[in-house]
Order: sequence, then structure tokens, then C-alpha cells
Amino acid sequence: MDVDFALTAFLTGWLAATVRLAGPLLLAALGELFAERAGVLNIGIEGVMLLGALVAWWAAWSTGSLWLGMLGGMAAGLTAGGFLGFMYVTAQASQVVVGVIFNIFALGLASYAYRLILGGASGAQTAVMFSVLPIPLLSEIPFLGPILFRHTPLVYLTALVAAGAWFVLRRTSFGLNLRAVGENPRAADTAGLDVTAYRYAGVLISCVAAGAAGAYLVLAQVGQFRETVVSGQGFIALAIVIFGRWDPLRAAIAALIFGAADALQLTLQIFTSGVPPQLLLALPYLVTILAMSGLIGKADQPESLMVPYSRE
Amino acid sequence: MRIFERRAAPAEGAAAAALSTALAILAALAVGGLLFLPFGADPFSAYAALFGESFLTWRGFGFTLLKAAPLILIGLGTVVAWRTGFGFLGFEGCVMIGAAAATWVALMVREGQILAGLPFAAFLPLAILASLIAGGIWSGIVGLFKSRFGGNEVITSLMMNYVALLLVQYLVSGPLREPGGLPQSPRLPRETWLPQLFDGMRANAGILIALAAALVVWALLLRSRIGYEMVVTGLNPKAARFGGVEVGRRQFMAACLAGGLAAMAGMVEVLGLHHRLIDGMSGGVGFVGMVAALLGKLHPLGVVIASTLYAGMTVGADAMQRQAGLPSSIVFMIQSLIVLFILAGEFFRRYRLRLPGRRTASAGEGV
Repeated sequence: MDVDFALTAFLTGWLAATVRLAGPLLLAALGELFAERAGVLNIGIEGVMLLGALVAWWAAWSTGSLWLGMLGGMAAGLTAGGFLGFMYVTAQASQVVVGVIFNIFALGLASYAYRLILGGASGAQTAVMFSVLPIPLLSEIPFLGPILFRHTPLVYLTALVAAGAWFVLRRTSFGLNLRAVGENPRAADTAGLDVTAYRYAGVLISCVAAGAAGAYLVLAQVGQFRETVVSGQGFIALAIVIFGRWDPLRAAIAALIFGAADALQLTLQIFTSGVPPQLLLALPYLVTILAMSGLIGKADQPESLMVPYSRE
Repeated sequence: MRIFERRAAPAEGAAAAALSTALAILAALAVGGLLFLPFGADPFSAYAALFGESFLTWRGFGFTLLKAAPLILIGLGTVVAWRTGFGFLGFEGCVMIGAAAATWVALMVREGQILAGLPFAAFLPLAILASLIAGGIWSGIVGLFKSRFGGNEVITSLMMNYVALLLVQYLVSGPLREPGGLPQSPRLPRETWLPQLFDGMRANAGILIALAAALVVWALLLRSRIGYEMVVTGLNPKAARFGGVEVGRRQFMAACLAGGLAAMAGMVEVLGLHHRLIDGMSGGVGFVGMVAALLGKLHPLGVVIASTLYAGMTVGADAMQRQAGLPSSIVFMIQSLIVLFILAGEFFRRYRLRLPGRRTASAGEGV
């Protein structure tokens, strides 16, 4: 009986942490999905998440409002998106190069701004964090309740965003046109679609989502800003998009798998097991490498991904 | 409502390219200069201190060369990979793998181990070979996926970075851990350290290794048949294949060589600076090396110059932070802004702002 109880406690704790950790990853991945569907590989979301995290922490700490913090993170994402959109779409620079260099720039900017903000204040600043909002009735369901329905509001919102993203991509003309632009921009242009506008839209959506994901990390998981708050989660979001084969619902499943690996590693550190934690931590990356290696069929990526479009 | 219009003739001459690079550097320095102001520092004296420390003092220049060596090696790896059309981003991981391989060999030179008493002249080639092979295999995996199975090297190589970081973390917290200490390897025996160039100067043989590698890469890429085939593969794989070039094989070669070069950077860091393997010791150097390579226009000589400039900026930034309390992150921003502005500059060489009142260029009319 005791073994059963321990097992249930372990499973509940692990799966609840899975959902909690998957949230920001999924949010960033959903935005990236729009950029990639429009034909732009936005590697810069790693840096955008960091800037979103910084501004969100600053806004929440100075105004005392968590939702203003979230808005601040999204505004930071929008600003970064304007710059990245210019580089990717208008200047037609190499998307990989721009994204990678932007990430370095963002790291410098965030660390600089953080020092500037803290300059006048003393000591480490703690912002208030979103508290858990159990959903009435549903959260009382045994086993499933604590796993799915005892989270911060941001978890539920992310689930809504996933459903919304699926609807927009699959069931609206905007989504159809966006996908057309990513598959064959010349044909889309001939058909009268504004390729530039759709690609900008994709980049901006991805950056706003990344800014929100950065805000999410600060406001619901860490509680304050650190330069290491993102550390690769933007890249994992890129992997989730590919692993989820450019579909919002499959991306949600992929995000849960990545979250589960991360949570398992955290949980197993409490128990002492023979498995090195690094192996568990490496699992998501290894799975992505395998998925992208071409060994198990080519991933069906948008045809014009990473190819800048110019009319002549 | 178009904001930009195409120039009648793109500004493509060497002078225009040089001018736009110079403007990009000036613009980045100007933005950086503004960033000093909130900290109450005068930009001009800050820059004078920054570059003066790292290029005009003997001590500082030694540090600059010390930091330049790994950047040059990573930049050379970038040149080889990207010129062959292999969009590799896994240099950070290769640095760690090379560092681990060099550590492993160096620890065997300890008292009572297999290679105890090995003279440095025999140890160094062995360490270079070990890091070359380890890094070559590490990036070769990605190259194999790309050339053989059509995998996506951009994402795969980014993911390999994390696997490499975790692998080293495992090594220094398990098999290679210093007994009872922090998660790091034991200190390497003194006889495996890279010798200093001059007494009292921090620069060591690492910079010579890097310069030799630059010469080899230059000769291979720009003076040999294989290198020619690699460059053609990067410019236009379809035409290269049509011309009889084995595109897949050349990309695989480029992948292995690029990883090997970056791994040598890890070796230089371990044998010349840290003298032990440390968790997370690469600290982003794999990415800064890539940026320096872009500033160097993906040419071996350009890489040497740009890497030395970036290394000097890093050294100056550290000194600035220590002495004046100015954040060294300003320099990271300047380093990345230079290349971002160069990329934007390439756009403005083809397009210009559309101004009201300016006659729009049309065919035959010239400017």
C-alpha cells in the first residue's frame, strides 16, 4: 500500500511539473510556428524571450501588476520583431545568421539594461508571482485534478492559445494564405497575396509569443530576472516546432514530452538513482537530433523555409 | 506606400563594400558610445581606455592574443563550413568536445599513468590529433546526416551543442572529477601547458597554432582543387554536381574539418588558459567566433584580423568593468551590432530610401 501511495505521489508530482514546465516552451513554439509557416526560420526567439523576461520583470516590479508585466514582455517582443522582420524580410539577410547574432546582442542588451535598472535600487529584487488558480470542481478530480487543473492562469491561457493557433492556421483565410506564402511565395505573389506582409506577420507573431514566453518564465516560474532564465529554451521551442511537424496540436504534445524529460530530471534528483541526470537532460535534444537527421523520413517542413523572397 | 526603392545600379565595387563595413563599425561604436552615458562615463575616454589597454600595453596585448587564438580557430571552422554551404552552428559544442579530448590526453601524462614522462614535443601533436579527431567525429555526425540523409544541419547542430555541454558536465561530475572538489577535472600536469611566448606575457603558443591553422585553411580552401570544389559546392550545389563535384562528400569533409578546428580551440583553452576541464567553460566563445568570421568576410586572413579585434575588445571590456565598473556587456552589443549593421548595409547598397521630390530611377535613366 505504501509503495502504491509513493508511486502515485511521484507520478502526480512529475506530471504536474511536466505541464508547468511545458507552458512557456509551448507558447514560444506556437509563435515560431507562424513564422516558419510563412517561410522564416526565426532563431532569434531565444534572445527575444530573454528581452521579454527582462521587460516583464521590470514592468511587474515597478508597477506591481503582473498583467502589466506580461504586457511589457509582449511589447518587448513586438519591438524586437520589428527589427528582426526588417532584417529577415526586407533586407533579405540570411535568417540563420541574423537570428544567431541577434541572440548574442540580446544577451548583451539584457545584461546591460538589468544593471542599469538595478543601479538605483539595492539588493536583489523579488517580483510577485502568479499564484495557482485551481479550477473549481475539475481540480478535485483524483489524480488528474492536481496534474491538469491546479496551475497558474498562464497554463490555461497557453492551452487556449494552442487551440486558437490551430483554428487560425487551419480554418481561416489568414492561416491558409500564410501557409501558401511559406510553401511557394512566387505562386502566392502571383495570386495577389502580399508576401512581405504575411512574412512580417509571421515574424511579429513569433516575437510577441516569445516575449510572452519570457514573461511567463519570470512571472510564473522564477519570480525574478536572471541572465540564465532562458538558457536554451528558445532553441528547444524551435525543436518543438519541428518535432510537432509544424502543427499546433502536435506541438503541444511535443512540448509535453520535452517538459516531461525536464521534470523527470528534477524529480529524480530528489531520489537518488543510478542514472546520471545529464543523460535525462540530454534526451529531448537527442530525440530532436534523431527527428531532424533525415533517418526517419524527411520532416515535411514548409517548402520555402529559410529562403528569402524577392520579386525579381 | 513603398518606403524603399531599388537603386538603378547596386553599389557593388570594393570601395562601396569597404565603405559600408567602415560605416557599420562606426555606427556600432556610436551606439555603444551612447550606452556609456547613463553610467556617467565619457564615451571617448572609455573607448581610449578599452582599446588602449588591449592593444597598446604589453600585458593587455598578451591577453588579447591569448583570447584571439580560440576565436581564430572557431572562425576558421566557420569559414570552412559556411563556404561549403554547410550551415553549421555547433561550434560551441565542438569546443567542449575538443577541450574534453585534450584534457583526457593530458591527464594520461600524469605520474603513474600510461603516458607519464612524455615530452611536450610528442604530447602536443597527440593532443592536437585527439581534439581534431574528437571534434571531427562530433560535427561529422551532423555532416553525415546532412550529406547522406538530407537532414537539417542548422537545428541538429544547435541541439548537439547542448548534448556536448551535458556530456562534459557528466565527465567533470563523474569519471573525470577532481576527488572531493568542485565539478571540474583535476589540474593538468604543468608539462602539458602551452608554453608562453615571452616571459611576463600571457600569450602562449596557442596563437601560433591558430595562425598555422589559418595558413593551412587558406591554402586548402583558396589554393587547392579540393578547396575549390568545396567553395563551388557552397556557391551553387546544383552546378557543382553538374560539373562533376561530389557535393555530399565535400560537405561531409567540410563538416569534419570545421568541427576539428573548433575542437582545437577547446584544446587551446584547456592547455593554455584554464589548465583543467570545467563545466560550461566555453561560455559562448563558439558563437562569438562565428560573428568574428562574418566580420572577416569568411576569409582566413579576415578571420585573423577580426578575431584579434574582437579578442581585444573583450579584454578591454573586462579591464573596463574591473577598473571603472562599466558593464562589459556593452562590448558584446557592439560586437554583434557591427555584423548586424554590415548585413543591413548590404541591403542599402541595393536599395535606398524613397524620398519625396527625388526623381525615381527608372530603366535607362541612370541614378
